[in-house]
Amino acid sequence: MQKLTTAIALVLCAGSAMAEDKVTIEFAYPYSHLFDVTYENILPKFYEAHPDIEVKFRATYENYEDANNTILREAVANELPDVTMQGLNRQAILVDKGIAKSLEPFIADEADFAKEGYHKAMLDLGTFDDAVYGLPFSISLPVGYYNMEVMAKAGITSEDQLPKTWDEVIGTCQKLTEAGVDNPMFWGWNITGNWFLQALMWSQDTPTVIGNDFNLDSPEGLKALETMKALFDGCDMQNIEWKAALSSFSAGEIGMMFWSTSAVGAVERSMGDFTLVTHEFPGIAASGPMGLPAGGNAAMLTSTSEDPAVQAAAWEWLKFITSGEGAADVARTTGYMPPNQAANDIILKDFYAENPAKATAVRQLPLLRDWQAYPGDNGLAATQVIYDGLEGIVTREFDDMSELQEQLSEEVQDLLD
Amino acid sequence: MMQHNRAYLWFIAPALILMFVILLLPIFIAAGMSLTDYSLGNSGAEFVGLENYEKIFTRSTYAKMFGATFRYVFVVVPLTVGLGLGAALLINSLKRFGDLYKTIYFLPVMAALIAMAIVWEFAFHPTIGIINATLEHGCGTFLEGWSWYAKGCARTFPLWLTDRNYAIWTVSFIGIWQGFGFNMVLYLAGLTSIPRDLYHAAEMDGAQSNWDRFRLVTWPMLGPTTVFVITISMIRSFQVFDTVEAFYPQGGGPSKSVYVMMFAIYEKAIQQNLMGIGAAITMVFLGFVLVLTLLQRWLVERRTHYA
Repeated sequence: MQKLTTAIALVLCAGSAMAEDKVTIEFAYPYSHLFDVTYENILPKFYEAHPDIEVKFRATYENYEDANNTILREAVANELPDVTMQGLNRQAILVDKGIAKSLEPFIADEADFAKEGYHKAMLDLGTFDDAVYGLPFSISLPVGYYNMEVMAKAGITSEDQLPKTWDEVIGTCQKLTEAGVDNPMFWGWNITGNWFLQALMWSQDTPTVIGNDFNLDSPEGLKALETMKALFDGCDMQNIEWKAALSSFSAGEIGMMFWSTSAVGAVERSMGDFTLVTHEFPGIAASGPMGLPAGGNAAMLTSTSEDPAVQAAAWEWLKFITSGEGAADVARTTGYMPPNQAANDIILKDFYAENPAKATAVRQLPLLRDWQAYPGDNGLAATQVIYDGLEGIVTREFDDMSELQEQLSEEVQDLLD
Repeated sequence: MMQHNRAYLWFIAPALILMFVILLLPIFIAAGMSLTDYSLGNSGAEFVGLENYEKIFTRSTYAKMFGATFRYVFVVVPLTVGLGLGAALLINSLKRFGDLYKTIYFLPVMAALIAMAIVWEFAFHPTIGIINATLEHGCGTFLEGWSWYAKGCARTFPLWLTDRNYAIWTVSFIGIWQGFGFNMVLYLAGLTSIPRDLYHAAEMDGAQSNWDRFRLVTWPMLGPTTVFVITISMIRSFQVFDTVEAFYPQGGGPSKSVYVMMFAIYEKAIQQNLMGIGAAITMVFLGFVLVLTLLQRWLVERRTHYA
């Protein structure tokens, strides 16, 4: 119903746009189940501040791979939107192919850009060759989700008893299974096909890609694969599709879920009657992970319009959603962190105290590392190979992890060269 | 005189040009592209010879692709043809309600498969889907004597769509459910064209039982229909795509066990922008369809003419 009203509102706005000579910009974003609410909140505020701009939403992208690929296709067909949201590790290819526009000219025109809360560490996530191409919109990190009623069956009643290492997770799984829990744990290996692999690699302070080299053929790579196998076997994890897993967790059927913090908002909106606690992502060693990959997406300017009014309007929209109230709405409606100091300091000061489930990722911020891209034309194909390999561990297709390590390294390396 | 001779060109040229532009040219372009490493969005591409084809016939991913495609085809074709024939014979023998059954069996054919796939996805949901929920009602009864059933009761019944031992058969089942109504209609048309006199003649010659009549009259007379039905079913099965895309938008099923050819083309060319390898799979696919079509022509001309 809400969507319908928005749609009607958009149609009505479009009608009046003709009359008042509004500037229309086109915009598209991924993951409708996470971000629909966010943009529904931001849009009225934006229209209030910029009554002369009209934002037309295109069909949402299914995920970051789809987002990237759609833009590549639209570039060939010359049908690019003015602003697009892209996964942090998928920006590079759009810069390489000259599809994304540099934001430097716009930043140069802003009197006090730094004051808007854009600070260097966050801008770095969208900087290529010393020029800013993407403004980060939402940042996520992997966290642990726990259903405390289920965890009580394993004797865990307070937050400080929650598992700190994967070995402890496996131990807890066994206790839960003995207590009659069918699905003790779900581990998000399938998040964009490679994010959790990078999480286990960064946990050991090792990058997954070095230059053009796929670094899975290292001792840390083997450790990462073996950790996954131990988890899937020890917890007898079933191969559940991720949407089904999220709904099963929300329904209270799963005790522990390791997933991106991004879904906290969505889970809180749909969950049944249980106590949700999020806690730090467990580590391979007892000291916890040494680093974690930043997930999330950045806003990029892909406008092909020659009209300076459209370009300026696109920049206003880009700036609005990534700073101030726009960025604060990201935190309010999802589990993402806004990558904007001003939004964090001023608007959200009390927010994290009141929403402890969303605060875990903020505590993990010092661990934030790069979400690495797979360079070249075959980047998406390489991701798919990793996805297929990891799925093979879940479906028990692969038993020997060193064999899988060899096979994956070869196939991915072949695609990156 | 000369003018008269050339006039025919004006009549056939539009058809020839259209056929060339719409049908043949794209095939030539795809064939050319399959020899390159063209990636969508790049300004150029390099000639790589038969490298793409070599990949298709050596990589384990593509071995899985052929495995899934052939499994699907060899399960779905015999069963849709068999069930289609069975349903047609039964409906043909009815004096009343024939039209009602025809409509019911034909409904899945008319429904959009992609929409039906979403319905099936709900039905096959591991815990709250109607299929596993129904199976759970049987727990605690004599059915538990069956070890497969007891295992399901102990934890959960199979994840029909995401267990790699079940996925391809589940998808095949939906293909059969969706496809046999179409074959039934084709067979019904074939049955009406069999002259009644042949049955009477057969009866006079001593064909007393229904089986004899079927074996001696119906089945041979349905020969041309059967060849057509099998060919069309095979081509349709080779083309299966919507269910796979609806169930497994990423990866083509658990451990690529439902990675059928159409989906592979889509994944490589559309999802990953790798036009070269996508075009190469398309050419292999066209090869299969071509062989099937030639086989059909050969069979039709050789031994299915009775009328």
